[in-house]
Amino acid sequence: MSIEVKNLVKIFADKKVIDDVSFKVNDKETLAIVGFSGSGKSTVLKLISGLIEKDGGEIITSKGDIAMVFQYSALFDSLNVADNIAFALHERRDLRKKYSPEQIKKIVAQKLELVGLKGIENLYPSELSGGMQKRVSFARAIVTEPNTILYDEPTAGLDPISSTLIEDYIVRLKEETNAASIVVTHQMSTIKRTADRVVMLYNGRIVFEGTPENMLEQDNEYTKQFVTASLQGPMKIMEGKKDE
Amino acid sequence: MGTLQKYFRQSATYKIFTGLYETFYDFVETLGKISQNGKQFVKCILKDGIDKNELIYQCYRFGVSSLPITLTIVGMTSVIVTSQVALEMVKQGGGNFIGMMMSILIVREVAVIMSGFAIISMIGSSIASEIATMRVTEQIDAIKVLKVDPISYLFVPRVLSGIIMMPFITIIAAAVGVIAGAITSNLFAGLSYIAYIDSAWLGIYMKDLWVSLLKSVFFGGTIALISCSCGYYASQGAKGVGLATTKAVVWSFVSIVVWDLIFAAAFFF
Repeated sequence: MSIEVKNLVKIFADKKVIDDVSFKVNDKETLAIVGFSGSGKSTVLKLISGLIEKDGGEIITSKGDIAMVFQYSALFDSLNVADNIAFALHERRDLRKKYSPEQIKKIVAQKLELVGLKGIENLYPSELSGGMQKRVSFARAIVTEPNTILYDEPTAGLDPISSTLIEDYIVRLKEETNAASIVVTHQMSTIKRTADRVVMLYNGRIVFEGTPENMLEQDNEYTKQFVTASLQGPMKIMEGKKDE
Repeated sequence: MGTLQKYFRQSATYKIFTGLYETFYDFVETLGKISQNGKQFVKCILKDGIDKNELIYQCYRFGVSSLPITLTIVGMTSVIVTSQVALEMVKQGGGNFIGMMMSILIVREVAVIMSGFAIISMIGSSIASEIATMRVTEQIDAIKVLKVDPISYLFVPRVLSGIIMMPFITIIAAAVGVIAGAITSNLFAGLSYIAYIDSAWLGIYMKDLWVSLLKSVFFGGTIALISCSCGYYASQGAKGVGLATTKAVVWSFVSIVVWDLIFAAAFFF
């Protein structure tokens, strides 16, 4: 077991935005969390990563780091690619003295090679395309060898070809790192290409859990509406509110 | 009862009082957050130490890059004041006191407070907008997820640079102010440089110098801490960055005036 979420609850302004959510993700497994905008997907990731406090339930993780890839990469724009990737190695109390500058240089080169971006160490985030920034943020996320990787809408704002490339790297990183992965997305292509299992949220509650194939085949009104992108169905899009 | 309540809620009185309450609440909340960050800042120095390279960069940014505008403001203030009083004082037979008056005024107040204002508008606003942008683009979240303490990474070098550099800026600004006063009183009132310098020395005591330097340490630390804190708690995208910057500037201005009053009361009343 790498990560287990039990009866998770989060309340913003007296409204339950996450309501009794439970799931489990094993090592080398990818769980996709899907749903309309405002259904609570990103809030779940923020709760798991510790960016916000939960109001109820449990998050059980096996020992090790949790890494997160942000929707718009969140690279440090004042640092070059190498310093972005090595950020945790330079700044973290427990890692600061563990590696020599030569070792850090080597680790950065390895991680960049893993995401197919060899030799761009000295470029700054503003000099990179959206897809490249995303891959640099992948490299930054895996630099501490995490056992859980969280992806917040990893293909948002990317063209279809870059999206496919990013999806391939999500699969590749899972294989290379043995980490449990949670991908928040509303792209069907991302679900099909990366996920082993899918959880669908609506108004903070799980309305579907199964494999990507189940999602397409099962007679679930929520998944049917999501897959067909229909305005008719149990989910009222205006009810959703942007995550805090 | 419900209708009455509804009308009351729409009234100007209700809106004025809720506005005042919100402003007061925001004031207390911000004050609390700044104090908490100040405490955390000390803890981080003791626990994590100091990133020397980042500190040197921030010192350069705080001190060196702001120096031309700071010296211009202090120099110009000195010229404006001297040009208006020098001739009158010479006419009234008080020419020998011009240097004394200007040195007291500049060393005790003008150099440190005008430098503070210049630093707030140049460096404080830039620190607040930089950190606020990091907040709204999730860079601060990324720092936290990477298990790095954002206070240690963002606050420590910036606040320390304020504490270290502000006294140097004040010393240079005071020297420029006194020299500008000498030149101006010579040009406007024909006062000799020797008379001005002799008089200036008589006006300055060691206490003036160390109080001014101590004050500058408090000013530098306060400006940097407030600017970092306002940026750190920014929200709501581009509007949030703007609001954080404005808040940092306003709070810093008010704070250094309050510090100035406290120092004046403690040492010169």
